[in-house]
Amino acid sequence: MIDATIVRLTMRQLLGQKRTLLMLGFAMIPVLIALLYRLNGDHRANDPQEWTAQVALGRLVVGLTLPFTALVFGTAALGTEFEDGTAVYLLSKPIPRSTIVMSKLLVAWAATCVVTLIAAIPSGYIGLSGESGGGLVAAFAVAVIAGSLIYCAAFLWLSIATSRALIAGLLYVFIWEGVVVNLFRGVRILSVRQYTLGIAGQLANVSERIFNPRLEGPQALLLGAIVTAVAIFLAFRALKRWEIGEAS
Amino acid sequence: MTEPGAPPAIECDHVSRWYGNIVAVNDISFSLRAGITGLLGPNGAGKSTMLHMLAGFLQPSAGAVRVLGQPAWGNPEMYRQVGLVPEREAVYPFLTGYEFVLDSARLHHLPDPEDATLRAIRMVELEDAMGRATGGYSKGMKQRIKIAAALVHEPTVLLLDEPFNGADPRQRLHLMSLLREMAAAGKTIVFSSHILEEVERLAEEVLVIVSGRLAASGDFREIRRLMTDRPHTFTVRASDNRRLAASLVADPSVYGVELQGSELQVRTSEFAAFTMAVAGVARRSGVTIFEMRPTDESLESVFSYLVKR
Repeated sequence: MIDATIVRLTMRQLLGQKRTLLMLGFAMIPVLIALLYRLNGDHRANDPQEWTAQVALGRLVVGLTLPFTALVFGTAALGTEFEDGTAVYLLSKPIPRSTIVMSKLLVAWAATCVVTLIAAIPSGYIGLSGESGGGLVAAFAVAVIAGSLIYCAAFLWLSIATSRALIAGLLYVFIWEGVVVNLFRGVRILSVRQYTLGIAGQLANVSERIFNPRLEGPQALLLGAIVTAVAIFLAFRALKRWEIGEAS
Repeated sequence: MTEPGAPPAIECDHVSRWYGNIVAVNDISFSLRAGITGLLGPNGAGKSTMLHMLAGFLQPSAGAVRVLGQPAWGNPEMYRQVGLVPEREAVYPFLTGYEFVLDSARLHHLPDPEDATLRAIRMVELEDAMGRATGGYSKGMKQRIKIAAALVHEPTVLLLDEPFNGADPRQRLHLMSLLREMAAAGKTIVFSSHILEEVERLAEEVLVIVSGRLAASGDFREIRRLMTDRPHTFTVRASDNRRLAASLVADPSVYGVELQGSELQVRTSEFAAFTMAVAGVARRSGVTIFEMRPTDESLESVFSYLVKR
């Protein structure tokens, strides 16, 4: 299911110097905000555990770093090859389309995990200000690894299905997850952000006052698994049916 | 290698392809065996669409395309015996030429990819530049490294989309001789081109596609004769146009002469006979010809003549 040559090629493609630096810089945003929170010193208004769970990890890492990193790597893993015409070299080989999808997904997932964990772990520990976090950081670390896979699978499928994957992904993250899910509680079952938060909530040993996600852990895990499986299946199918454009 | 008597390497059976209301390829049927076939036609005629269907990158809207007896569409296994050189210049710019071909060899799961890579790079004479990143290659070098990557697994069928674009004359000759060697070894090679001379120099068989239709197919010399023997119009400027017109009209190869200002428009049905006769006619009439040029020699006019036949 995984081809080492495709993995190596995709890594070199994705981890070009500019993109890597940009993403690492992006990962630093939650860390810097956590530092500012810590330097502010007044923790009476904001409990460090509550701030870390809800703001640093919940909003900044899961709400910002994770989806945007997954969007960049998930859509670029195969999308850039469609754009510049190099996909033909990969697709004109006797390789099952499923192997191409899984190899690309593996690299996009790994790259997203690295960037998101670089954001999550330091910002979590800095935000806790030395207090015990009830396993918050570890819980969020595991949750973002799962969330990275779900997002990357969905964005990889989008990049095959449409040439405007980046716009579609931004609309999903900004409008759907950022606005619609907040307005209508029922659609939380179609939000990867809510799955990630639900998994983190299940693993963290903290009270509901500190962190209370909208989805129960098992429900979030099940929905996440279904969405990942469906996205991978759709990606296989879309790649099998992919046709070269006139400009290619 | 396709043996004589074996099924054709490539078969197209009433193949059409349309995009919405636009018909790019219209009910084309042909079959090809080992040798070099040129896919000739003006820009936008449907050559690339046809080649992409042969390569399994476009699904025919109607009809069937089979390569080595297998359906071309939705069949990645076909690529074990098929090599493709796309028209687009793009290669992975961060890979060296060697890495690019090596990755191709590895993706084919060849038993000795390093050896196959060196052999393919040697075939296109790019050994000196194989250690450099392909992003810095010239257009001709990119073309050659793409050909090396397509040849690395020694395919039975090789499909090339405008392969000589960007190649200098020496490289062009080298690539042509390489393709001839492959054809002599029993490979089936199909290449597209909008340049008549390229096809003339290389192809044994030709498929002429105009406006999505197969305008002519078969032996190139026969089609060339059709192209040459069609009615031609020449523009002639001479020291005495009127006297030359009177003499030319008596020549059996000429069926019409018209005086147009300071020029003559001469219509002939026999290209070769007229061009051989005209100097003698002028000399006998005591007229000096200053200029003579074919008026309708554009490739498009040649193609549209073939379509009308």
